[in-house]
Amino acid sequence: MEHLGGLIHRMPITAVCFLAGCVAISALPPFNGFVSEWLTFQGILLSPQLPQWIPRLLVPAVGATLACSAALAAACFVKAFGMTFLGRPRGAAASGAHETDRWSQCAMLLFAVLCLAAGTLPGFVMDALAPVMQMILGARLAPQSTQPLLRIAPIDPARSAYNGALVLVMILVAAAATALIVRRFASHALRRSAIWDCGFPDASPATQYTPGSFAQPIRRVFGSTVFRAREHVAMPKPGDPGTARLHVDLHDTLWEALYLPVIRFIDSVTVRVNRLQFLTIRRYLTLVFSALVLLLIIVGVWR
Amino acid sequence: MRLNWLTQFAQIIVVLALAPLLTGVTRKIRSRLLRRRGASIAQPYCDLLKLIRKEVVVAENASWLFRAAPYVIFATTWVAAALVPTFAMGLPLGAAADMIVIVALLGTARFMLALAGLDVGTSFGGIGSSREMMFASLAEPAMLMAVFTLSLFAGSTELSSISSFMLGPHAGLNISLALALVALIIVAIGENARIPVDNPATHLELTMVHEAMILEYSGRHLAVIEAAASVKLLLYLSVIGCVFIPWGTAMAGANPIAYVIGFASYLLKLLLLGFLLSVFETAIAKMRVFRVPDFLGVALMLGLLGTMLLFVSKVPR
Repeated sequence: MEHLGGLIHRMPITAVCFLAGCVAISALPPFNGFVSEWLTFQGILLSPQLPQWIPRLLVPAVGATLACSAALAAACFVKAFGMTFLGRPRGAAASGAHETDRWSQCAMLLFAVLCLAAGTLPGFVMDALAPVMQMILGARLAPQSTQPLLRIAPIDPARSAYNGALVLVMILVAAAATALIVRRFASHALRRSAIWDCGFPDASPATQYTPGSFAQPIRRVFGSTVFRAREHVAMPKPGDPGTARLHVDLHDTLWEALYLPVIRFIDSVTVRVNRLQFLTIRRYLTLVFSALVLLLIIVGVWR
Repeated sequence: MRLNWLTQFAQIIVVLALAPLLTGVTRKIRSRLLRRRGASIAQPYCDLLKLIRKEVVVAENASWLFRAAPYVIFATTWVAAALVPTFAMGLPLGAAADMIVIVALLGTARFMLALAGLDVGTSFGGIGSSREMMFASLAEPAMLMAVFTLSLFAGSTELSSISSFMLGPHAGLNISLALALVALIIVAIGENARIPVDNPATHLELTMVHEAMILEYSGRHLAVIEAAASVKLLLYLSVIGCVFIPWGTAMAGANPIAYVIGFASYLLKLLLLGFLLSVFETAIAKMRVFRVPDFLGVALMLGLLGTMLLFVSKVPR
């Protein structure tokens, strides 16, 4: 990502599909990710009725975590799309990029359209998934595709309802109305000019925000505790023409606490067992013979 | 039914017409508090008119996203604002999109704005987008937690129902509601780029967030974005007004006088909240950028605490 940028000009169709995917995964309406988030929130809001205490205490924390992760996902995908497709090319690969073939474009477009369709007509998707729910849980939601006006109301229309199609139509109508009003009353003059950037002329593409600098505030807020992020700045002395370096240490706490000990254990065992592969034939025979004796003793004792 | 649609339509127009006025009024109050005379309260309308008459200057390497983004930002913000009951309840569109949708629509607008800031590829656009998304990663969950508290309390996620419930006999003083109110106020200040989080009047390069993202915009595009910012401020004040000061709002199917009273009370509520906002802004200094996460983190914690208390204290409906 550090070498990309400006791909929206060279790869317009890929950019549109990528943008649709980014909006969908960041749980923003009117795409499908939001419907899933909305349904999960509705479930969370019902959970005070649970009889057990522990889930009742845990569920609001789960809700907060979900809300946080949706917002962080949006930040992540602003970075992913913004750094790759927007801005100016940061390297030769990006400035020489070209669009993929038609078949790949069709495949991407298909999935982008599916994201939008599942977000605007969620009732049909929910009904199609209902047999799976029936199989796993033995229960299912009331049929949603028979609700009036394509809306979904999983519990009770008076409690909560969502109409993805209507939201999309409202956004489109509002945008079209704004564009029409602006077109009717505003000046049509448009001039292409150099980048303004508060009056810094001819800045090189290297002065753009990089993916690392985009993530730096979030890393500073969340990373210092969760990932034990530490920044090391190596600044050359005045007069020294050497390069300054910024090095970031990140630790995945969960990975290091849960998985790394297991991995180390397996590694050390395999290193020891590995020696068995390089024995002489005499030693192999001794090994097989002693294993046989050991097994016979075990069998004998067992009896 | 027809009356409800008429109300909805009037509401869509009202939020649009009143938004610049609200911005003008808050600016005016603020300057009076600072012992300045201040511009007329109609100044935001004049600014918008001036901007749409001007020529648009677009950077050479700006993509279609840069030119489309203002309209998407404005449309999503406007739709979100039209879903908040301002002077009357029973909005037909409210039944299709609840408070979670309002939060998410504002999220869509912010997403597009952050992308627009990155489009031209300048360091100021980058700094603005990056900080905006950092603030949002705390403000959005905080807002959702406040929404959770309100909907657990009222048994619905729809704003009209919550507002009616607040007027009803079952609502009373509740610690969770107080926590949600504080959380909502902090989020409203943060999301609208007000002091102490950001300064809407500044062009001090290293402290600006919202202004840095829209630095490359000019002419009609800038006008649309400025209008969206005004509508967003109106939206937040309307949400706080309709949930915490619900009195006076016309019920669905009331007589015409109730609608007139509803409108007058709405104007009063906006004036009151705008006044309080200006007083708060003049009483406090702008924070360092990396103190803002603490400020917004307080909102998140309060929202979570409010929800937790409701989860353990009673069995909500």
